[in-house]
Amino acid sequence: MKQKLTSSVPIILLLALTAVGLTGQSYPGKPKIIRCRSLEKETFSCWWKPGSDGGLPTNYTLFYSKDSEEKIYECPDYRTSGPNSCYFDKNHTNPWTTYNITVVATNEIGSNSSDPQYVDVTSIVQPDAPVNLSLETKTSANTMYLWAKWSPPPLDNVSSNSHVYHYELRLKPEEKEEWETVSVGVQTQYKVIRLQAGVKYVVQVRCMLDLGEWSEWSSERCIQIPNGESPPEKPTIIKCRSPEKETFTCWWKPGSDGGYPTNYTLLYSKEGEEQVYECPDYRTAGPNSCYFDKKHTSFWTIYNITVRATNEMGSNISDPHYVDVTYIVQPDPPVNVTLELKKPINRKPYLVLTWCPPPLADVRSGWLTLEYELRLKPEEGEEWETIFVGQQTQYKMFSLNPGKKYIVQIHCKPDHHGSWSEWSSENYIQIPTDFRVKDMVVWIVVGVLSSLICLIMSWTMVLKGYRMIAFILPPVPGPKIKGIDTHLLETGKSEELLSALGCHGFPPTSDCEELLIEYLEVEDSEDQQLMPSHTNGHPSKNAKMIPKETDSDSGRGSCDSPSLLSEKCRECRALPSTLQTPDVRDVQENKGGKRSGETQCIVSEQKVLLFNNESTKSSTWPAAQLPNNQPPVFAYHSTVDAHKITLNTTNVNIAPVLVGNEEKHQSQFPITDTVHNDMEKQREMENLHSKTDQTTVQVKQNRPNDKSPFLNPKLMDYVEVHKVRQDEPAVLLKHKENSGKTKKYTVPGTSKEYTKVSTVVDHNILVLMPDSCIQHTSVSQEAATEMSPNLQQGQAEKNMSYCLTPPSECIRETNGSEYMDPSSFMPSFK
Amino acid sequence: MATARAAGRAGAAAALALLWLLVCAPGEAGCRLLTVADLFDRVIRHSGRIHSLSTALYAELEKHFPPRDNELGKPARKCHTSGMLTPNGKEYAQKIPREELTHLILKLLQAWKEPLSHFNQHHQELPDDSLSKAKQISNMVHELSTGVEKVTEKMQSMGMISNSLNGMASSEATGLSIGNEADMMSDSDFIHCFRRDSNKVQSYLKILKCRIMPENSC
Repeated sequence: MKQKLTSSVPIILLLALTAVGLTGQSYPGKPKIIRCRSLEKETFSCWWKPGSDGGLPTNYTLFYSKDSEEKIYECPDYRTSGPNSCYFDKNHTNPWTTYNITVVATNEIGSNSSDPQYVDVTSIVQPDAPVNLSLETKTSANTMYLWAKWSPPPLDNVSSNSHVYHYELRLKPEEKEEWETVSVGVQTQYKVIRLQAGVKYVVQVRCMLDLGEWSEWSSERCIQIPNGESPPEKPTIIKCRSPEKETFTCWWKPGSDGGYPTNYTLLYSKEGEEQVYECPDYRTAGPNSCYFDKKHTSFWTIYNITVRATNEMGSNISDPHYVDVTYIVQPDPPVNVTLELKKPINRKPYLVLTWCPPPLADVRSGWLTLEYELRLKPEEGEEWETIFVGQQTQYKMFSLNPGKKYIVQIHCKPDHHGSWSEWSSENYIQIPTDFRVKDMVVWIVVGVLSSLICLIMSWTMVLKGYRMIAFILPPVPGPKIKGIDTHLLETGKSEELLSALGCHGFPPTSDCEELLIEYLEVEDSEDQQLMPSHTNGHPSKNAKMIPKETDSDSGRGSCDSPSLLSEKCRECRALPSTLQTPDVRDVQENKGGKRSGETQCIVSEQKVLLFNNESTKSSTWPAAQLPNNQPPVFAYHSTVDAHKITLNTTNVNIAPVLVGNEEKHQSQFPITDTVHNDMEKQREMENLHSKTDQTTVQVKQNRPNDKSPFLNPKLMDYVEVHKVRQDEPAVLLKHKENSGKTKKYTVPGTSKEYTKVSTVVDHNILVLMPDSCIQHTSVSQEAATEMSPNLQQGQAEKNMSYCLTPPSECIRETNGSEYMDPSSFMPSFK
Repeated sequence: MATARAAGRAGAAAALALLWLLVCAPGEAGCRLLTVADLFDRVIRHSGRIHSLSTALYAELEKHFPPRDNELGKPARKCHTSGMLTPNGKEYAQKIPREELTHLILKLLQAWKEPLSHFNQHHQELPDDSLSKAKQISNMVHELSTGVEKVTEKMQSMGMISNSLNGMASSEATGLSIGNEADMMSDSDFIHCFRRDSNKVQSYLKILKCRIMPENSC
């Protein structure tokens, strides 16, 4: 994180700098260290060349570090070696250290530093040239020789005696190119022999310390080896110049003086005049020059100028120089050059240059008219672009490349004649980048900053875990379902959760799933109903209905009694395939019977109502509640009864077969009876039931052949057929045996058949009313006690049940215990 | 002769053009009264062009007739206008009365009309380029003279200078023995002299303008 931040800081700084640079002023240009030099290896100096100042006052600071230390020092002395230099005195100079030196230019906007310069003091030693070289010709023993003397280079702070210099001397005849170099040693004088008489010699010396480089050669000294006596050489007039078209000055170069002190005289005559005048002013313009003031300056006149050099031996006159002052005007460069960046609204910025004519030039009089020319180039560019401006003293530039720094110079010249002045000093201007680019920069800044913020955010998130996330994105509350224990959800135990939802053994091992599926299959059975299969025994029809209804309410009950599940679920599963096909057949074959069945059902319904009133309900309910398999049994009884009732009227002829069947079953009845009678033997019952299954399978198998499942009405009185569909055992109960018990529960005055059976065929839904007599060996006692509360409940339920088809009520009677309330299910199914 | 006549016609046309220039500002919707400053600028520009032409012609002549020795140093060089007393420096030019300065300008121009025409007629051997320059210079001197007269009239009408110079111009102009001296000069000397005088004229015009209208870009 820190690294990222620190690395991004320079970027931001850079951006800020460029943003600032968009204004006219800018940070200074890069300074350049020109050279470092030690005169005597005890001190040294470095000089640098400043870059552009960015239009603002700029300070230069020199920093250095030594190879042995980390510390950075600033220049100890900026003055001694002149401007733009740094002087390292003895205390700051270590000859065995490499210095790393940089110069930093700073102004208000920013700073810019030079490339570093590495300095090893011993390798930059170069003394100044020797001084005070003097030459003498002497004659001894008719031999001419040259005697040269000089002084070692002067040193400011160090006593010059402490250094030993080696010297070299060179000389040549003036007109020759090749030097003759002589090693002198440590002496400061030298005698040159074998010189050509009458020849003028040029002599120079230089020096060196025991290490480092040779100094520059000293300034030339000339000496004429006497050839006898001679006048001085011809001087040469170099140039004449008028800076303002009012005065002018001429310079000349003296020739050799011939070994004697020489005087120089400038003489001039004007055109058309015979008179010769001498220079009015030798001093003002320096040595070897003549200044003509206004009085002595005439225009449109040709001056004939000569210089005469004179010594003891004679004189010599230069070639004449003709001057028309009008044409030697060369003004000084323009001054006060200013560059200003104008930024008009809705237009590109442009550059306005203004300047003033040189102060000497009197342009207001009209005497001197100046024309200007400016040149400019990008700072790093090579070629100048030159623009002739004319007489105006300002210029606007529109087509400059944005984002570049330009150097601008101006010079001037009189119109129609004269020559150009020197160029003015360099002026720098930073052209701002385009407005669009400016926008770009802004956007880049924004982008960088925002991405930075994102980085920081994500980083802190990672560091602080998900607290931030939780803070920013609070947890979404999960869906809440009424009745679901959220604690269970949280503990995440699926089994418990599912059991809470109703299926206790949800994972497929349990039968709940199967039961659910059964129910679905019941619905499917409607399709199958269209294709009645004769193979299905009619008992299945009855049984079919029962599972359906038991399903509706059995979900819990069946699961609650795992012992029964296997059977029951099997029944449920198997039933749908055969469901109701018999019914259809019945409908087709025995319409009349069906009707009668319906009517009977209604009747039975009424009875049920009575029952309810009389709290028969309580008696029926326990059937579902009972853990044993009695409820189905009852149902079977009832359905069978219903069939008996319906079939009584119609299918008499088949009765014998049925009887046969029933007879077969009769063997089993005692067992079941015992079960009913003895509630304590429920477990045995289960076993028995399985046995009965086996037996019933046989019965079932027989039945298809018989095709007489409906023909038992005759037996009704004696036997209850407890029937399961083909796969399942059909149980036949002897009704007579149970009758006594049944009577206890049924409403007095109603016949057995009616109370036991409530059958309604209503759109494939057959509801059977259990035989109360059978079921209620065990529950009866309870029922009696609970009668009154059940009554109320029952009445409450009546409202519902009335709307329902009779079966519902029948079922309610059968299953109407406190534990399961089928009525609550039924309407929803309807 | 045909070329001379053509040149004469061309000169006349140029003079007309100059006149029009002096009266009407080009590029403007119509002619309007020009200010003295405008007129001055035009004659100054015109004199500048004449000077440039003469400089070019002088260089050509020097090339065509290489100087036998240092031409400048020839002491015999003497222009026919050298006799005229003209200010030879800024201070003199500023001291001299305006009328006199104006008169001086006109006198100088007048002094060169005839010799230039004469030069053209008698130097048909010159290269065409130089000859056409010489003819152009001759015409332009006529135009410039006309222009300066115009400015003078204008200044006089506006009371900037007195009317005292009318008689002066004609009387003194006749006093100059132009023809003989001009004939005596070499071609390059002749042009050299003219070049110098054209520069004089220009300088005097500038000085005059800045003296009369110091506020006007002076």
